[in-house]
Amino acid sequence: MIVAEQKPLSEIKEIVAPYKKILILGCGTCVKTCFAGGEDEVAVLASALRLACKKDGKEIEIEELTIERQCEDEFIRESAPAVSRNQGVLSLACGAGVQALARRFAKTPVLPGVNTTFIGVLERQGIFTEECSGCGTCRLDIFGGICPVTRCAKKLLNGPCGGSQNGKCEINPETDCAWQLIIDRLKALGQTDNLRRYIPPKNWRTSLSGGPRKLVREDHII
Amino acid sequence: MLTLAMDKKFIPKITVFHCINAFSETSWSSVGGNDVEIKFIKLPCSSMVKDVFLLRAFEAGADAVAVLVCPEGQCRYVEGNIRAKKRVAWVQNLMDDIGIDGRRLSLSNIAAGDTAAAIQIIDGALENLAELGPNPAS
Repeated sequence: MIVAEQKPLSEIKEIVAPYKKILILGCGTCVKTCFAGGEDEVAVLASALRLACKKDGKEIEIEELTIERQCEDEFIRESAPAVSRNQGVLSLACGAGVQALARRFAKTPVLPGVNTTFIGVLERQGIFTEECSGCGTCRLDIFGGICPVTRCAKKLLNGPCGGSQNGKCEINPETDCAWQLIIDRLKALGQTDNLRRYIPPKNWRTSLSGGPRKLVREDHII
Repeated sequence: MLTLAMDKKFIPKITVFHCINAFSETSWSSVGGNDVEIKFIKLPCSSMVKDVFLLRAFEAGADAVAVLVCPEGQCRYVEGNIRAKKRVAWVQNLMDDIGIDGRRLSLSNIAAGDTAAAIQIIDGALENLAELGPNPAS
């Protein structure tokens, strides 16, 4: 999932300051799971903003809505009536959702309410960890399902740096050494031969450093 | 008990969220008199007290909110009171960010039937309000 974190209230107050009628629009997919922008977070933020504005003697009218996904126009269309009733939209979706809204509603300011942080997993309730960099050339088959591009601080592809201690990264002792995890996993899978394979320097053109990417599926385009 | 040395025009409003296993408002009777308006909201478990409920109590005009939960280790649903404690702490921080002072919100562990403790908790909230004054966002 895409993991995001709600912006501090002080920043959100600044962002919405020019508007008197605002729609807080949640997204019921990734940001809901990471407690940043689902229905509950929309309700809490709306309440907090109303209290903050009332305390400061400012008028604000807040409408609340959460749609299934803000990154798909099919769902975004459901929000059109609510958007038209407001001067601006504070989106609690990831950056993709904010931009998809902006694309649909050309004349309405769409404002970000969260900071989009990474692609990750729910490690356990309340803890999210980054697992994928979206580099565009996945070789998790070789690495036993553990990504050194994302989880090794040095992004090493041909074995550990030698700086880890007790299975922890020397950059951050709270982080597991990705290569320790890879070796342990390959041992468990009986695939330690993978460690003998030379991995050539990574081609980063498939990553964001090659500019914004586009995936075209001709078979789905009519 | 339940005395308030502040502006006579200010009648504090306190909303009490409580687990039905920790406290019963029928045991409260008429304690409190005219010096305070208390609204009780009973919950099947304190873990049901969502953060938005706490904020909306303040939006509805509460000057203080007290959450009464079972003693630690005695929650019928194992960890409900721990969840409530964490949620209250989170909302207290948010209230500080809002500018209405997180001290208006409190959580207390209380044993079933301990009305004296409940009175103490309300007294504590009133003492706090004597310093904090009315909810600036009500």
